[in-house]
Amino acid sequence: MNNKKVDNACGCSIEDLLKENAEDGEQRLCKAAESDMEVYVDPDPEKLSYEFYMKKQTDGLPIIPPTGERVRRFIEFSGKNRDDIIAVLPPRSGKATVEKIAVNSIMAGCIPQFMPVIQHSIKAVSHPNFNLPGVTATTHPVAVCTILNGPIAGEISINSGAGCLGPGNIANATIGRAMRLCLINIGGAVPGIGDHATMGSPSKYSYCFGEAENENPWEPLHVERGFKADESTVTVMGLDSPHNVNDHRSKTAEDLLDTIIDTASVAGCNNSHVPGEMLVIMSPEHAKTVADDGWNKKDIKKYIHENALVPVELGDRGGRKLDPKWVTGGKVQITRKPEDVVVVVAGGPGRHTMIAHGFGTSSESVTEAMRLADGTPASSVFDFKK
Amino acid sequence: MRVKVIEKEVIDPLGETVVDKIKIIPVPSKINKISYFNNTKPNADVILAAVAESLNKEGKNVEKPAGAGATEEQLKDAAGADLSIIAVGDCGSCSTWVILDAIRLEKEGIPTISICSDNFMDYARSLAKSHGADDLRIVEIKHPISGQEEENVREKAAETIKEIKKLLNID
Repeated sequence: MNNKKVDNACGCSIEDLLKENAEDGEQRLCKAAESDMEVYVDPDPEKLSYEFYMKKQTDGLPIIPPTGERVRRFIEFSGKNRDDIIAVLPPRSGKATVEKIAVNSIMAGCIPQFMPVIQHSIKAVSHPNFNLPGVTATTHPVAVCTILNGPIAGEISINSGAGCLGPGNIANATIGRAMRLCLINIGGAVPGIGDHATMGSPSKYSYCFGEAENENPWEPLHVERGFKADESTVTVMGLDSPHNVNDHRSKTAEDLLDTIIDTASVAGCNNSHVPGEMLVIMSPEHAKTVADDGWNKKDIKKYIHENALVPVELGDRGGRKLDPKWVTGGKVQITRKPEDVVVVVAGGPGRHTMIAHGFGTSSESVTEAMRLADGTPASSVFDFKK
Repeated sequence: MRVKVIEKEVIDPLGETVVDKIKIIPVPSKINKISYFNNTKPNADVILAAVAESLNKEGKNVEKPAGAGATEEQLKDAAGADLSIIAVGDCGSCSTWVILDAIRLEKEGIPTISICSDNFMDYARSLAKSHGADDLRIVEIKHPISGQEEENVREKAAETIKEIKKLLNID
């Protein structure tokens, strides 16, 4: 008990009675004194980033501190309760609650309006067909690519145009990053511990873009997969980093697709020994060349599927045994069926396509419609706001 | 005037984990038949052949994917024995699915022994633990396995076989 004289009138001397060492220089504030005040400040991002980094809870880049107030604002856009579980993420079987998704999304630099997109993307990667346990743990550098379609993609201004796979847009940069931080912190995909990629990939920082539906001469991805054009969807694919296909000279669909096929038909990809999906992102100019030649998406898929071949002696060098059923005439088909060729249109002016191989037979892309709790399609992220 | 500056609290980004304990099926005292569950990784067949020769029991070979889970049919096939020995986890996705398929078999009542390379042993154990299968039988083989000559792999397998025999109480 201390002997310090205190003014009992305010009633806070009870704190002195409850504390054993209140006299140890502690600056106790008096609630009744107008001159005393407590000021709450945001944590120092530099200090906190370093602290989280040392605990292996970041991707190495600085983070925004996930304070309670920020988390509350994000949860408002979830359309769900704080403790609702969206998925259980491998390998550590971590519960991806709305709160934990919000925390990691804040850290990634997202704005609250992105919450529905991230939640649905987390739900999509947890689908058994996506094989997140394998995708996360593999030595292969497969990353999670998130493709947005529908009105919400436009509402949050995701970049589907010039530089859509590069820097410069908050949605592209932070939604993919939020996905990665969720995988790291909720799932335990810490490099070298739960994520065993031999080298990893820059795509593991963020890999998210929208489809340029207005410049697409064919039906967009979500419509092709049975959703309505005015529905918003996220499609997740396990992919290598994209590889460019520069073709400025082809005037016919066949010539242009041959350049794409030649770029795609390589021995070192997973598809060369365990054929699977492959993403083809055509720039609007390339898409126009092919469409003007009278080709539809089905034609493209069939042509690429039939002609993207790797010599068996080179293809059969991967981690898993090549099933002879994929070999014809000494060549391996890198896709199992035409539908494995996933075609989207994105990018700005220029005559380029990007191709990205999948994780072979070990992961299938999943498209998830953004729907409210009662199952009705959401046309705006504000529909989720309580 | 006294001012106290307090940093706002931040919320932990780590997710809580879900753990349901899995009962590990004891190895039976008498083993008549063993299924050799081969994930087709390079030299998995060599390791399993060496184990089979050494144990000299009736065996059946079953194949499964490396980077993904076994199909129900493959799992059922592997479960048609008194014990299943699964090889080989020498990378991230294949170690994952050696362990997860072993757990699926244990849940079906089939005792298992998983073979993983020493480089992936810590991960294999932590994965088993995160699925409530702390005591899952996992034996080690010296990394690397892929890209190695058969003779070299057989030499490495000799140490693994000793461990397997211990688990099976065979001298």
